[in-house]
Amino acid sequence: MAILEVRQLNYVYSAGTPYEKAALRDVSFSVEKGDIVGVIGHTGSGKSTLMQQLNGLLTPMSGQVLLDGRDIWENPKKIRDIRFRVGMVFQYPEYQLFEETVRRDIAFGPRNMGLSEEEIERRVRRAATFAGLREELLEVSPFDLSGGQKRRAAIAGVMAMEPEVLVLDEPTAGLDPRGREQLLSRIVRYARENGTTVLLVSHSMEDVAAVADKVLVMNKGEVAMMAPTAEVFSRAEELQAMGLTVPAVTQIFMKLRDSGYAVGENAYTVEQAVRRLLPLIKGGAAGC
Amino acid sequence: MSEAILQAEQVTFEYNSGDAEPVKALCGVELTVTRGSFTALLGHNGCGKSTLAKQFNALLLPTGGRVLVEEMDTADESLIPQIRRTVGMVLQNPDNQLVSTVVEEDVAFGPENLGVEPHEIRIRVDEALKAVGMYDYRHHAAHKLSGGQKQRVAIAGVLAMRPDVLVLDEPTAMLDPSGRKEVMQTVHRLCREHGMTVMLITHYMEEAATADRVVVMEGGKVMLDGTPREVFSRVSTLREAALDVPQATELCYELHKHGIEVATDVLTVEECVDALITLLEAQHGHS
Amino acid sequence: MLKDITIGQFFPGNSLLHRLDPRVKIVLTIAFIAAVFVPKTWAGLLLAMAFSVMAVALSRLPFALIWKSIKPILPIVLITALLSVFYVREEGDPLFSWWIITVYKKGIFNAVFLASRIVCLIVGSSLLTYTTEPTTLTDALERLMKPLRLIRVPVHDLAMMMTIALRFIPTLIEETDKIMSAQKARGADLESGNLMQRIRALMPIMIPLFASSFRRAYELATAMECRCYNGGEGRTRMKSYRMAARDYVALVLTAMLIAGMIVLNVFLPNVI
Repeated sequence: MAILEVRQLNYVYSAGTPYEKAALRDVSFSVEKGDIVGVIGHTGSGKSTLMQQLNGLLTPMSGQVLLDGRDIWENPKKIRDIRFRVGMVFQYPEYQLFEETVRRDIAFGPRNMGLSEEEIERRVRRAATFAGLREELLEVSPFDLSGGQKRRAAIAGVMAMEPEVLVLDEPTAGLDPRGREQLLSRIVRYARENGTTVLLVSHSMEDVAAVADKVLVMNKGEVAMMAPTAEVFSRAEELQAMGLTVPAVTQIFMKLRDSGYAVGENAYTVEQAVRRLLPLIKGGAAGC
Repeated sequence: MSEAILQAEQVTFEYNSGDAEPVKALCGVELTVTRGSFTALLGHNGCGKSTLAKQFNALLLPTGGRVLVEEMDTADESLIPQIRRTVGMVLQNPDNQLVSTVVEEDVAFGPENLGVEPHEIRIRVDEALKAVGMYDYRHHAAHKLSGGQKQRVAIAGVLAMRPDVLVLDEPTAMLDPSGRKEVMQTVHRLCREHGMTVMLITHYMEEAATADRVVVMEGGKVMLDGTPREVFSRVSTLREAALDVPQATELCYELHKHGIEVATDVLTVEECVDALITLLEAQHGHS
Repeated sequence: MLKDITIGQFFPGNSLLHRLDPRVKIVLTIAFIAAVFVPKTWAGLLLAMAFSVMAVALSRLPFALIWKSIKPILPIVLITALLSVFYVREEGDPLFSWWIITVYKKGIFNAVFLASRIVCLIVGSSLLTYTTEPTTLTDALERLMKPLRLIRVPVHDLAMMMTIALRFIPTLIEETDKIMSAQKARGADLESGNLMQRIRALMPIMIPLFASSFRRAYELATAMECRCYNGGEGRTRMKSYRMAARDYVALVLTAMLIAGMIVLNVFLPNVI
C-alpha cells in the first residue's frame, strides 16, 4: 500500500510576474511504505521543490499529495500535523540548531507535537542513539559540537518526531568519506527498525546506489524515472543524457558491453561488479 | 622545473581549544612543493590538511619548524603582504568570500587593496575573469550566480592579485556535481596553461586522482606522498585513514583479492576497462 | 516570500539619468530636495513639478513605477496636509467656519504646497536609487565625503560596511527563508499566540541566523585578509569617475531651477 502518492502535481515559482518559472510539471508517483527512495536530478530539476510539497511547506498550484490515502491539504489548518508525519531534514541542517543544549534542541519537534515529558524524553534518547550521539553530548550546547556531530544532532531532531516518512535533502553534503558512510548506515538502520519510509535527495550516485531500494529521477520539473535501483542504473545512457553522472563501476560495465563483452546488466556497486565479473574472468565464455 | 616554491620544514602547530591540553593539529610536517606542480592534499576532516594550507599564506603561523614561501619565512611579519600576494587562497564557502555585489568589483577588491593603478586593475580584472570563463558575467550580481560560478569568481579575485601559487581549501565541498566539474576544469586549466602552482585540499578521491601528486595527511602528519597511481594502489592504508579510493581502483583491488592477476594501480574508468578486457581476452583465448 | 523583496530598488537602464556621474546625481538630489522648499509662488511650485516630471521622463522609467513609490506614503502626506489646513490662522475672514474648525485660504494654499513638496521630494530621491546601483551609490558617497576624513570621520570604513551589508542582505534573506522552513518542518508555530509567545517563537529563527551571521563574518574577514585588505590606507579604486558634458549640463540646469524659483519669489506675490 502506498504511503505517499503524488498526483498530477504542478507548481510555478513567482506566478503572475515576468519571472514566472515552472518548477514542477504533472508530477505523479507513489512510494511504498518502508521503502528507501533515492531522489536524483540535476540542480534545478525540481527535486527540492518537490520535497517541500510533501510536507506542505509549499502548496501545489494543482494536483494532490496523498499521505496514507488522504490529501494533506484536506484541512489546511491541520498542516502542522502533516509536518510531524512527514519529517523533513534540510540541506546543512546544523544551521537550524538553536537551543541551549542538544537535548532541548532534539526535543523541539516532539515538544511542538504536545507530547508528555516522559514521551519526549524517551524519543530524544532513542533519536540520539540512532543518530550516534553519546549520552553526555546531550547536555552540551549544540554550538560546541563538531561539524559531524552537529549534523547528526539536527537529524536526530527530526527523527525524534518519529515521522512515517523521512525526507532528507543531501544529508551527507560536505562530510568526508567515513562520515558519509556512517551517517548513511545510521539512516538506513533507523528506517529499517522503525519501518520508516525514506526519501533521500542526493547528488552522489554512489550514495544512492548503496542504500536505495528505488530511485526517483527528476528532470526539468518532470518525473523521468521511478523504478527499482537496478532498473534505473541499467538505463545509464539516459541518466547521462540528463547530465547525471553514473557510478564509475556502471560506466565500466557500459564500456565493456560497448566493446562486445556479455557482462549482463549494469552493476552499480563494487560488490556487485566483483560478483558479476569473477565467473566471467575465472571461467565461462564472455567473448563476443 | 623543480624549483621549490613552498616548503614546510618540520612544521608543528598547536592551539588552545579551551581545554587544559593544547590541541596538536600538525606534528612535524615536512613538505616541498615545486613551481608549476599540481598537488592534492587529501585527508578526512580534522586530519590537519586545512591547518597546513593556512600556514602557506601566513593565516596561521607554525608553533614549531618553519614555512617558506619563495624563500620567505612566514614568521617574518614584514614579509606577510608579499607572501599573501604570492600565495592566493580560495576558501570553501563561495558565499562568504565575495565582498562586493557586482562580479567585476569583487574581482577588483584584491588589486585595489594592493594599491594597483586603476587602468592596470581593469586589465587584471578582465584577464582574471577571462581565465576562469566568467568575463560575460562581469556586470552580474554575485549572489545570483550558481555555486560553481561564485567559486570561479572567487578564484578570479585571487588571480587578479597575480599570485604564483593557488591554494584551494576544499573549494568544491559545497558544490553540486556540475559546479565541482566547472571548478576542477578551471583549476586544471590555470595550472596547465598559465603555469600556476596549485595546491588543492579535498576529500574527493576523483579530484585528487587528477593531480600530479597526492599527499595524504593523517593525524597531523604526512602519511602517503606520491603520484596518484602510487598512492591509490595503497587501498588498505587509505581505508585505515578513513578515505576512499576511486571505484575503478577498488574494483581491481577487490578482484585482485579474489586471486585474479590484475593490475592494482589503475585510476580511471578507461584504465580499468582496458585491464578487464585484457583479462577477458586471455580467458577467451584459453577456452 | 521574503526572497521577492527587492532591496535597493535599482532598475537597470541606459537612460541619461542612469549615465550621469553618481556623485553629480547625489549632489543634484540634495540640491533638488532643498530647492522644493524654496518656492513661495504658484509659478515656482509649478516649476518644481515640471522639473520632477522632466527628470522622470529622462530616466525612461515607467510612471507607474514612480506612482508605486508615492502610493504608500500618500495617506501620511494627505493627513499632514489636512492638519496644516486647520493649523493656519490668519487675519481677515476665514473661508468657512464650523464648530472648532476654521479654514482660511492660506491654510489651503499651505496644504497644497506641503503635499506637492513632499511628492517632489519622494520622486527626486526615488529617482536617485532607481537609477543608481546601490554599490555605485555607496562608492560615490565615499568619494564625496572624503574631505570629512580631515575631521576624523572614518569614511572608508563606513563605506566598506555599507558595501558588505548590501552584498550580504540577499544572502541573509535567503538564509532566513531556509531557517524558517526548517523550523516550520519541526512544527514551529510562527503565526499564533500573544505578543510574548510570538517573540519566543522567533528565537528558533533569530538564534541560528545570528550564529550563521557570525560564522559568515568570520569567514569573510579571513577571505578579506587573504586578499590583502588592510583598511583604506594606500588603497586604489578600479573605477574612476570623470564628469562628462551631460553632468555639467545637469548641474547648470538645477542651478537655473533654484535661481528661477528665487527670482519668482522676489518678483511675484508670495501665496504662503
